[in-house]
Amino acid sequence: MFFSRRKAELLKPLLPALEWERVQAYAMTDAGFGTDPFGTDPDLLGFGYALGYWLHRHYFRVVSTGHHHIPARGAAVIAGNHSGVLPFDAVMLAVDVFRYTDPPRLMRFMVDYFVYQVPFLGVFFRSLGQMPGTRANFDGLVQEGHIVGLFPEGAEALGKPAAQRYELYPFSHGHVELAARHRVPVVPFALVGAEEQMTMITDLRPLARALRLPYFPITTTFPWFGPLGLLPKPVRYFINYGEPITIDPAALDSVDVRTTEVERVRDAVADLIQRGLEQRREYGSSSA
Amino acid sequence: MAETKKIPTLKAAALVNPQEQATPGTLREGPRRIFVAGARRRVAIHLIERLLAAPEVDLVLGVDRGPCPPALLGCDPERFVFATADLSKRRQVDNLFLLDKLRERPLDSVVHLAFQGNPRGYGVESHEFNVNAARHLLDASLRHGVAKYLFLSSDAVYKIGPRTDYKVREDGELNLDPDVHPILRDTIDAEFMCRAKMDRPDCEVMVLRPSGVFGGGVLSGVNLLFESTPPVLPVGFDPMINPTSKERLARDLMLSIFLHGKGVYNLAGTTVGPLSKFLEERGIRPIRVPGPALGLVNRMQRMLGMTRYHAGFHPKRLFFSLVLDDTRFDRIFRANAHSVLALSRSPDPGG
Repeated sequence: MFFSRRKAELLKPLLPALEWERVQAYAMTDAGFGTDPFGTDPDLLGFGYALGYWLHRHYFRVVSTGHHHIPARGAAVIAGNHSGVLPFDAVMLAVDVFRYTDPPRLMRFMVDYFVYQVPFLGVFFRSLGQMPGTRANFDGLVQEGHIVGLFPEGAEALGKPAAQRYELYPFSHGHVELAARHRVPVVPFALVGAEEQMTMITDLRPLARALRLPYFPITTTFPWFGPLGLLPKPVRYFINYGEPITIDPAALDSVDVRTTEVERVRDAVADLIQRGLEQRREYGSSSA
Repeated sequence: MAETKKIPTLKAAALVNPQEQATPGTLREGPRRIFVAGARRRVAIHLIERLLAAPEVDLVLGVDRGPCPPALLGCDPERFVFATADLSKRRQVDNLFLLDKLRERPLDSVVHLAFQGNPRGYGVESHEFNVNAARHLLDASLRHGVAKYLFLSSDAVYKIGPRTDYKVREDGELNLDPDVHPILRDTIDAEFMCRAKMDRPDCEVMVLRPSGVFGGGVLSGVNLLFESTPPVLPVGFDPMINPTSKERLARDLMLSIFLHGKGVYNLAGTTVGPLSKFLEERGIRPIRVPGPALGLVNRMQRMLGMTRYHAGFHPKRLFFSLVLDDTRFDRIFRANAHSVLALSRSPDPGG
């Protein structure tokens, strides 16, 4: 076996007993060998959740609101801002959704292809239910009633320079088109905090190309402190979920409608970012 | 005035009233007379045994280059005929359709299983055999009024990589890389020949793409890998697969012969899972080597007789998932298995 149950339980002590039970009770379609058709492995899910839970609770000390906007059942698209050089924001978001939904819902992200070329990492991501970002994968996940996470700004937004903090890049249209096609709502979210976890100085594109990476960050700590420099600062995350947006099916036929719908989602995310920033200021002043 | 038989053309095919075409998944009328090319293959032997057990089958003509396989020697000579022929020779292929036994009632189905898919020693001769056999068999079938033509292709025709979908449908991207192994190139060419004839109204042309096939002596990639001592896999990768078995494949082939339907279909097993779990289930312990060393280790294993698996044939196979989506075949054929008398008695052997 690629990852034995015994190894998967190594991180069990990081989880409260009740949370461990929730992971174990997570209902999954068994495709024959304990994994679902997407390759989600319940053993590895426990391992991943234990690690993520610890980061969520003790490292990033996530404060989140608006969980009631996440559908308790059925498919939905969750779309929001992306930042932080390394995608800890996606991990925290997935943990947050799993932690605060009952029964727990596993968020499936559309992940960059390069992840699946890296030994162990690709299998790890797949075992946690995260899929390469293809249309067929999105269709399959939505048809099976899963929550699909998307970052419409794209992976480039991870490397936002400090001067552009909390400014949204243009949103791609894919999430709106897919949501319209499957008649599923888009739940906007905003994550505040990740922008401060690392400060990008520059992106070494030639090196990134040579290593087949989407980017190669030079930050204030990396590569100067070696791999340790990739460790994010333990900043507090604020996650806000907004009201689900029903996408006009006409977005499938008209570029203008689609653009308008994309702007609706983008505006909702921008509002939530402002709310998150205010929340952080209030939180800072109250804790001081 | 004597009626002259019109040769159907593509234009004629387009003009055929769709209501006159048989509904896919319905039972073909009358007894079957089936030509099985490549009768020495394990899957073919299994298929022929199943066909002969079916009362609806009138005659099976098994053809291959070598002698009749021992497993088929005891078959009823009234219902089974074995012929040795070189299918790459047009005249020899034509002669098979003109056998005395077929004069009264000609063949109505052709199953092309003779494609040589073993990468070992695949040279010009094998390439020419595959290309010519595919062409001559299809041409002869259409000329002699065969109503059903099946070509058993492979799942290796699909392009795989980190972008592969979690389930690959029949419209998935094909591996048209010019550097691809010649067998794959020839397989895709043979598929295209079939696809070019799929609109003919008088013959239902089907291309079947099975996932890896398990079964003693079967020359499929996954089977050869599992028969290796030990299987060698790349470290850090564990692709998802859904292999089928030779029993299930033979059953699917029977369904394809007996029921109406044409087009390209995936055939897969019922179980989807990581490769490591399939190995574990069979008590096989693989050894893992760094990905770049896989080809070299595999070559050494082959030299030492430890494996017949050829890692260079489909190099990404052990790195990236390939799970076939066969819901189309399920919906049209397996869902109507009850209408085939012989199959209604036997359960689906599963994956």
